[in-house]
Amino acid sequence: MLLPIAFLAVNSALADETKAEACLRTKVWEGYADGWGVRSMVTTEIEDGRTRAYLVTLYEGNEYQMKACADERLVNADLLLYDTKGNVIARDSTVSREPELSFKPPATGTYYVVLYAREMTEAGGKGEVAVAVTYR
Amino acid sequence: MLRPRLRPHRLSLLALLAACAGTTPTPRDAEEEKVAPANPETPVLDIAGMEKGADQATLVPSPIETQRALEASGIETQLATLIPDHGFVMDKGDPDRAAIRTGVVLADLLLTTKTAKKEELVERLQQIAKGMEQLQGGADIQSTITDLVNRVQTDAVTRDELLKEFDELSGVMIPELEFNGQKRVVPLISAGSWLEGAHLVATALRNAEKKDAAEKLLKAPTVVDYFLKYVTTEGAAKAPEAVTMKLEESLKTLKALAEKPAPLTDVDLATVVQVTNDVLVLL
Repeated sequence: MLLPIAFLAVNSALADETKAEACLRTKVWEGYADGWGVRSMVTTEIEDGRTRAYLVTLYEGNEYQMKACADERLVNADLLLYDTKGNVIARDSTVSREPELSFKPPATGTYYVVLYAREMTEAGGKGEVAVAVTYR
Repeated sequence: MLRPRLRPHRLSLLALLAACAGTTPTPRDAEEEKVAPANPETPVLDIAGMEKGADQATLVPSPIETQRALEASGIETQLATLIPDHGFVMDKGDPDRAAIRTGVVLADLLLTTKTAKKEELVERLQQIAKGMEQLQGGADIQSTITDLVNRVQTDAVTRDELLKEFDELSGVMIPELEFNGQKRVVPLISAGSWLEGAHLVATALRNAEKKDAAEKLLKAPTVVDYFLKYVTTEGAAKAPEAVTMKLEESLKTLKALAEKPAPLTDVDLATVVQVTNDVLVLL
């Protein structure tokens, strides 16, 4: 019966990915009414306590919001912004599976948006998270 | 709205870069996993690990984002007004050309969404459809474009809604290409869009009085480096096409300018216009 179990696991993972993406898409598209646009949306699987870094080039003069939606297996997902020297320059401070952070770069440059699976419903588990970089 | 059967795993304009982004944990990540039963408030990361393992799907700014940065610099020029008549024949040429060409048209479509005549929007959408057909992007993307064309032609969608849907279209092209086994061309589409943006921005800056804005808009060495690495590594896995070779040559010049410590001069801006145009005319 391994095949049906594997099938169910794959379907479950896809459902979680879909939920995370649907949540993020709603947030992102709502932002268009306030002049926001989306540069990119990506979805990733992440394990408890792990991080995922995204390289971004941000323009001076623009305002940025990084948003994420995690599935229900995450209790607390964090977003942090690092400069290329490894310093944290912005972060969200909520206990939420839908973190956001805002940033207005003082100069055009390269940064890292870091997604951090800080707490999950099951220690050592993994979940799906959709992440977007938006601007205006 | 776009059809739900599309696979928007990655919505990233030109981002195309996604193709090169891995999801493999870095060695550092593996160490963290072993020693972090209670996760600290701030994860301990080392910059070398981030440089190595970072996903580049979010690296490249979109053309509209560039337009807004231009305006924030005090330059009111609308990039849409500078778009030349490319005269592309979308269904001719090799896949590399088709990919770069599609990226250029996509950038033009995004930049002109709010101002173009209905017929121009339809023409650009049809050009993208032909480009994606040549790239074997799959039937879903064709259906989506056909649906968009119909709604534009019948005024069934506002320009604000179109902007959202075009952003989404540009994003879903990536997973569709990946799904259809065409991952290799994804960064070339991104390169096409970025190249068109750089060409238009440099043209706008040459005509503007605030030359210092060039520092904010054209000095993005990480972006240039990303495309250059692709062209000289992954893209070089096959015999390079003429346009790809010209792209590499132009990117090398752009990289040198992006890394120039001194402010960009009028001559530098003219060089950007020239080397980007060198690629565009080959398409």
